Amino acid sequence: MIEYILMITAVFGAVLALIQRDLLKAAILTGIPGASLAFLYQYLLAPDVALTQAIVGSAILPVFFALAVYKTRRAED
Amino acid sequence: MVVDTQLASFFTAGALIVIGIFAALFLDNLIKKVIGLAFIGDGVNLFIITIGYKPGGIVYIFLPDMTVSWFAQNASYPLPFALVLTSIVIGASTLAVMLGLIIILHKKHGTISASKILGE
Amino acid sequence: MNPLIPLMVILPIACALLLNLLHKKDRTVKVLAIVVALVLPIIPLLASYGLHFFGGYYPLSENSAIAGGLPSYITNSALNVFHPAITYSFESAQKIMIFILGLIAFLAIFTSLNETKRPSGVYAFLMFMGTASVTAILLSDDIFNLYVFFEIAAISQVGIVIASGVKKNYETALKYMILGNIAAPMLLLGVAFLLGVTGNVNITDIIYSIKNGIVSPQNPVLLMACGLIVFGWLYGSGLPPFHTIKSALYSKALPHGAALLQAFSVFTFVGLGIIIIRIFSYLPFSKIVIIVISLLAMILGVTMALMQNDIKRIIGYLAVGELGYIGLGLGIGTAFGITAGLFQALNEAIITAFLFLGFGTVLYITKKSDTRKLGGMMIETPKLALVVLLAGFAMAGVPPLNAFQSKLMLIQASIQAEVPELGIIMILISIVTFMTFMRAFYTIYMRPKPPELQITNKNIPKATIISLLVLLAICIILGLYPKIATNYLQVLANSLV
Repeated sequence: MIEYILMITAVFGAVLALIQRDLLKAAILTGIPGASLAFLYQYLLAPDVALTQAIVGSAILPVFFALAVYKTRRAED
Repeated sequence: MVVDTQLASFFTAGALIVIGIFAALFLDNLIKKVIGLAFIGDGVNLFIITIGYKPGGIVYIFLPDMTVSWFAQNASYPLPFALVLTSIVIGASTLAVMLGLIIILHKKHGTISASKILGE
Repeated sequence: MNPLIPLMVILPIACALLLNLLHKKDRTVKVLAIVVALVLPIIPLLASYGLHFFGGYYPLSENSAIAGGLPSYITNSALNVFHPAITYSFESAQKIMIFILGLIAFLAIFTSLNETKRPSGVYAFLMFMGTASVTAILLSDDIFNLYVFFEIAAISQVGIVIASGVKKNYETALKYMILGNIAAPMLLLGVAFLLGVTGNVNITDIIYSIKNGIVSPQNPVLLMACGLIVFGWLYGSGLPPFHTIKSALYSKALPHGAALLQAFSVFTFVGLGIIIIRIFSYLPFSKIVIIVISLLAMILGVTMALMQNDIKRIIGYLAVGELGYIGLGLGIGTAFGITAGLFQALNEAIITAFLFLGFGTVLYITKKSDTRKLGGMMIETPKLALVVLLAGFAMAGVPPLNAFQSKLMLIQASIQAEVPELGIIMILISIVTFMTFMRAFYTIYMRPKPPELQITNKNIPKATIISLLVLLAICIILGLYPKIATNYLQVLANSLV
């Protein structure tokens, strides 16, 4: 059951991140599909990939996006 | 209706890929484009993981109390998982390069709108 | 086991990393880069043919130590011949292709080190990384390994453009990367479909599975895999719909960078094209698809080239158009046709590099690439003008230069395969190519010099002239003795039919 919930959160998190007007929010929200995919990989019997995805998808990439948003926004104002 | 996990997972992967392609092609904001590209990569990775998944199986770690033939029948297929590890890292590094380019272009043009920067 | 086979990929990567470590030690960087680049074309000549299994994991049929302890229901099945390791296969066709790629890489690196003031920096690093990845694409028998190097090649191509400092290069680089990040996952998805159907990523094993009925060839998933891999192929080699961005990429690089970039595209085209033919040639329409794509590339490339005003842009579009000839050779599908197509690939890589470097001298002395602002270069550099003219003759297929031989072979192949229409189109496109080249040549060299044109840098480095002469020599040698190349390529062509 829990894997279906994870799949739905992954898709909805992706949509939610893309419809945000505030880019910083969008950047942070990309962590939701990343993290739910990491848990999903655990349920799909791939624990080692889940570890990598948990770090890359739910921590590193949102930070990259947030940094890019921060850098591009500061110069604008 | 009961959908089995593998099929549902394939559909999730497909949905992520479609969302990503839509965002990459039709959204004007460059950072959102790149977020869309990240979702395409995630979708493809999920697809490959799902290929290796075995319904009702076990994780591919051989423990001392298993017999080889039982392990071979029940373990998930580890080759796709090994590929995904590489693919995740490649995806993250290409995204980092793109974000760096976007920051440079923003310094030059003062905007992150794709139509203003990439248009002729 | 031949240790030289992996060395072809490892040596440039190791050298690239070492160059970064030696940052700012200009003399050392220059010497090291030139020595390693000189070794690159020599390794394939010394290496002997064979397969290389990474980690020493041989197939069970060749590995009696492990196979002896296994039950017979494993050793009697297809598992016995499957390749468990990443496999590199080095055959005669790879030998000549990697030799030519290494030679172009050497000349490009040699020229760039002598034309730029400061040789240390990321530029040589990226050139070595790109060369290594394209070499791996040619060698690899493992389709996922191929995807990884495909991505590395894409990033290093973007890097070469970013490092060039040409106007508007960042925009083009970002555009190329965004398209690349749609196309490369599609290629990976195609790999995933193949993996899902056959359970394998080794190309030889996938073909074994399809040919021996382990997997049904009628499986529609294989069709989708074919489509997705073809999409990645189009992106990697800059065929339509990616011809615009690819030629923009060439025009935003420095001339020596562009010479190398087009060699990457040509060899990516050949490497992936051979794989597509090997796996999917049983599909009845696979050859027609290749022919249609090639014709589109030829027609679009040449007509777009006619309308451009930037030298590098013109050659970029012509390079895309010439790719079509290779595709037609592969698409005709007879052994002779494939040999001709592969020979044309070698020739095109050499000639386009020649043209980029040749027109690069104009760029070097005037710092302008817009044909409308150039003129009268014949008086400044009469000897170089002759060399560039010969390069243009070579591209158009004038005897006794090399492309004449390969284009003649292609036309003969099209007549033998009873599709003379293709031969006629090839001749027509060849004429238009020549016209486009002569128009560019006339405006740059022959017409009177515009008064506002400044000569900023009179002395062309010796390295550039040496590179041009080496390329001219290869053009003439291959033109007079085409057997040198075709004998190597014939083996592969016969195995593909």
